[in-house]
Amino acid sequence: MEDIKNNTGQNMGIAALITAIITFVIAVIPCVGLIAIIPGIIAIVLASVGLSQAASRNAPRGVLVAGLIIAIIASMISVSQVFIAGKIAQKADKWPGDIQNIINDVQDNVVKDLEDANISIKVESNGDKVEINTNSDKKDREKTLENLEGGKTQKNDTLPKKK
Amino acid sequence: MKGEKLRKMTLYQRKSSLIQNLKGNLRNEPYLIINIFFAGVILLVMAYSGFFSPEKDNYPVICLHEKLTGEPCISCGLSHSFSLIVRGRIDEAYTWNHYGMRIFLFFAAQLVIRVVFSIFYLRYPDTRRQLIIIDCIGSGLIFLISLWPFIGNIFSGALFRV
Repeated sequence: MEDIKNNTGQNMGIAALITAIITFVIAVIPCVGLIAIIPGIIAIVLASVGLSQAASRNAPRGVLVAGLIIAIIASMISVSQVFIAGKIAQKADKWPGDIQNIINDVQDNVVKDLEDANISIKVESNGDKVEINTNSDKKDREKTLENLEGGKTQKNDTLPKKK
Repeated sequence: MKGEKLRKMTLYQRKSSLIQNLKGNLRNEPYLIINIFFAGVILLVMAYSGFFSPEKDNYPVICLHEKLTGEPCISCGLSHSFSLIVRGRIDEAYTWNHYGMRIFLFFAAQLVIRVVFSIFYLRYPDTRRQLIIIDCIGSGLIFLISLWPFIGNIFSGALFRV
């Protein structure tokens, strides 16, 4: 009689502990972490029922308490996966904007490089060759402009940048 | 002839008494039930990895994280990785998921621990308490080391640095 009295809620405790540990392992894996909330709730219910039974008959509660604690932590981890997923989704909305900024930067760099480029055009037709070499160096062009205008160039003659 | 019969009888008796002993132990020992259950779960994971093939790509488990966010998560490709490890294609397994081998080793280690600790538990009843403590601490440490990238991912998410 004494033995039966002491084992009250023990089976519930074992079931709760097994479910809680499995929940914990599942909850940590991001792919299936959200599913872990279901076994987590089952483990909490099992442990709670077992605890109430054990408390009413003054039976040992070690396994039940361990199961309950692990189940609660595992469920919290599982719920936190929702927030992480939400955070990633929120970040994902910003990524197209970031990509657009990178493209704009690259475009600006290419235009800046082309401003100082040496251009060579070769045209060949029926044995006749025409070669045009020009330097698009911004400083050279400014110098040429100064020579043409006789040194009376305005200091800032560039158009304002488009916003 | 008679001696051999007697030997067979004693062997049978020993076997049946061992089974009865084990049944009695199982009824009273939650540790053994937990060990058997976990060993079964790990064997099921291994069977799952062996049953579904990476060539057919017929895995029933989908990534909920990817479905929700549209972005692959840190554990994507784990099923493929496990299947490839079971088939001995370790290099390919690394390409599917970098942490696949680490987590597979965790499960393999747990399977060995469940079996070995259960044998020790039955053979040395005086050291049962110490055995359970060592198991809890050891398994916890192995769990932390093996699944640290995933745990770190949770913490980084909680601190909003995803």
